[in-house]
Amino acid sequence: MGMATSTKEPGLEALKRLKSTKAPEWLTPNPSLSQTARAASEHLFASLKPFTPKSPFEKLLTQGFDAEQIWQQIDLQSHPLMSTLRREVKRFEKNPDEISKLKKVQKVGHKGSEGVKGVVEEESDGLDEGLNGFDEELDEDEEEEEEEEKEEEERESEGEEEGEEGREGGIEDAFLKIKELEGFLEDGEAMEYGLKKKGDGLGKKSKKSKGSEEEEEEDDDDEEDDELGAFGLGDDEDDDQNADKMASYDDFFGSNKKKTSKRKSEVNVRSEDLDMGDEQEDSDMGDGQEDSDMGDEQEDSDMGDDQEDDGAFENKQETLSTHEKELQKLRSQIELMEKEDLEQKDWTMQGEVTAEKRPVNSALEVDLEFDHNVRPAPVITEEVTVALEEIIKERILKGQYDDVQKAPRLPSVAPREIKELDENKSKKGLAEVYEEEYVQQTNLNSAPLSFKDEQKKEASMLFKKLCLKLDALSHFHFAPKPVIEDMSIQANVPALAMEEVKSLLHLWLSQTQLCWLLRKFLLAKVTLRKKLSLHRQKGRGGELIRRGNSKDKLIEGISMTRSDRIEQSQHKDH
Amino acid sequence: MNRRNTRLRREYLYRKSLEGKERILYEKKRMIKEALQEGKPIPTELRNEEAELRHQIDLEDESTAVPRTHIDDEYANASESDPKILITTSRNPSAPLTQFVKELKFVFPNAQRMNRGGQVIKEIIETCRAHDFTDVILVHEHRGVPDGITISHLPFGPTAYFGLLNVVTRHDIKDKKAIGTMSEAYPHLILNKFSTKLGERTANILKHLFPVPKPDTKRIITFANESDYISFRHHIYEKHGGPKSIELKEVGPRFEMRLYKITLGTLDQDEAQTEWVIRPYMNTTKKRKFLGD
Repeated sequence: MGMATSTKEPGLEALKRLKSTKAPEWLTPNPSLSQTARAASEHLFASLKPFTPKSPFEKLLTQGFDAEQIWQQIDLQSHPLMSTLRREVKRFEKNPDEISKLKKVQKVGHKGSEGVKGVVEEESDGLDEGLNGFDEELDEDEEEEEEEEKEEEERESEGEEEGEEGREGGIEDAFLKIKELEGFLEDGEAMEYGLKKKGDGLGKKSKKSKGSEEEEEEDDDDEEDDELGAFGLGDDEDDDQNADKMASYDDFFGSNKKKTSKRKSEVNVRSEDLDMGDEQEDSDMGDGQEDSDMGDEQEDSDMGDDQEDDGAFENKQETLSTHEKELQKLRSQIELMEKEDLEQKDWTMQGEVTAEKRPVNSALEVDLEFDHNVRPAPVITEEVTVALEEIIKERILKGQYDDVQKAPRLPSVAPREIKELDENKSKKGLAEVYEEEYVQQTNLNSAPLSFKDEQKKEASMLFKKLCLKLDALSHFHFAPKPVIEDMSIQANVPALAMEEVKSLLHLWLSQTQLCWLLRKFLLAKVTLRKKLSLHRQKGRGGELIRRGNSKDKLIEGISMTRSDRIEQSQHKDH
Repeated sequence: MNRRNTRLRREYLYRKSLEGKERILYEKKRMIKEALQEGKPIPTELRNEEAELRHQIDLEDESTAVPRTHIDDEYANASESDPKILITTSRNPSAPLTQFVKELKFVFPNAQRMNRGGQVIKEIIETCRAHDFTDVILVHEHRGVPDGITISHLPFGPTAYFGLLNVVTRHDIKDKKAIGTMSEAYPHLILNKFSTKLGERTANILKHLFPVPKPDTKRIITFANESDYISFRHHIYEKHGGPKSIELKEVGPRFEMRLYKITLGTLDQDEAQTEWVIRPYMNTTKKRKFLGD
């Protein structure tokens, strides 16, 4: 109903207006009302923003957005806040002393902030009203109810915050800044208390440092943000330390959402904007709360510290250039190779290896390479067989075999003389032919010699002479010359040379004959004559008187003629 | 018998020792002959001995012109009578091996098969000498597959060791009616591509396992050498029609042989000199062809 000083805060103004509107006005759709409602919600959102470090929205986006969308944004902000508040309440339930400590610190930090209180109270009231109005504004009942619940909780938290702020009372000009201070103090205390649970030393230090910083902040508004920033960093460091000490599964294997939100908080930490500074402060406080309540619940803020660590590491990873990556790879490879070299070689590379030196059946798995220096056995294919058969057929046709040749045997029987039939007219007359035949039959000696026989004769003669000489050389005893009967044709010999029967008459007759014959043969003549003349004595009747062995002599003479002839021939030969 | 053997052996060794000198002499005579034939001047180193050598050449006839080596003596009397072969196996032969040996008995005419039992090689050789066998054939195996054959010529003769590959026996061909019985006539021989000295020697050894055939037999046994692998084939041919048409029908086992050793002694003489042995570890073995072609 009554409008408070709304020149500064349009949001607050909006809230107030909302509060002032009467119930029936809400039933009809009113654009101006909706505008005010939007403004009011924006204001609330902004005021709560510092306590929700992970909300993706800096400001509640209401222009051109649906009620549903606006609600979603608020929901996003309020969810983590609820859990934080619950935790804080539990903590205060356990340790009611802390509340008083809180109050003390605040009182120490902020003197003369009573003036502010009143304003704050008013504002808080206004805010409450606004909140109520805000509830009524929403179209859907369900949403309203939900909103109501959330808003109530928010109110509680807000109430706490406002209450704290109210206690301070302070400079009107630096209202917001005082509020910041409050938040900052809260954070510091939370940190302290968190630290105190494990070890007191650190906490006191931080307390002191915070106290000194707070005093400074009272003096200089300008420096506040920077110092807050510095302190924020310091908080971060403390956070880090805490993180190291109390590492849990969630810290390492949390969801990506938490990491991203943590990143954002980091970004917040490192920025230097005023707004960011606020957020930073709040985020630090949030971190402090995390530290204190490790492991209670899985919250987004829990991951904060470790995510910060991871984030830092990841940043370092990102800064590795490709060259560095390659170097890393190379290094790992080199290490591998060096390791291999130091170890013993594989058995296949060890030169001569017996079965004892290598594992069982290992030679079966390895593909061993051999140089075969022997031509492989021929595979007998169809073509080979056909080629062979061709060769065989050729040989058969030619009749060219490689059989064993029988050695020529010496003939056991003399080869028969083959009588050739001569076509020419015989030179000898038929009578002569019969003559020769008869002679052959009667006297073997005068057989006509064929060509072969002549050769035989010559051969035998030569052989006889040879044997004679050999015998003469080799035999100890004297052996007389063998008589070689020489068969030579004598032309003047009468055809009939018969052995004569010797009678006296024959003898007498033969004598004369002989005389007559002997005259012809010079050599025998003389001797015979001599012999015969001695015996030639005619007796009475003119018969020859033989003296002594004339008969014999005659016979001898006659016989001698033959032997003489032989001797003659012998002499001739020699 | 024993004394005769020792005497023969001594003669053989003596002739072997003379061989060197004989060979030199033969070479000289040959050079002079060539020079005379071609009308070229006689080489200077033979000037002094030229007249005498020429006189000797004139007196020489066919058999004395060629220098006889101790190697030839082994087969000097071979052609006079038919060879008598004994075939046996290594100890404890498997069934397929005994079947193969039976087949071989039919391949070589005038051959006999003997069970090995527990006999020592020395005993076998002595009994063979006593019974006037000319050759002994020993067949080895690996798990039923025949993988080695040893041919030993008997009085003192050379022993040739072969490895067998790609053996196909008659028993493998199940259909007995298709094959029929094996002809036992004395076969004609074809020895193809044995061109080097060693090849000639091997051909000689293989040749003298068979007797002198009749000119008109239809049975052909082939030993064809292709890059040191000797293929054994056994065919029977028929001449259909007149003009040069021949039909070959393969009969009997077929295998590839690979010579790996020739020793100048019988099987039982371990200390006998090796005439030739395969050396597969030499770098040039792959390029060389020892038996011919």
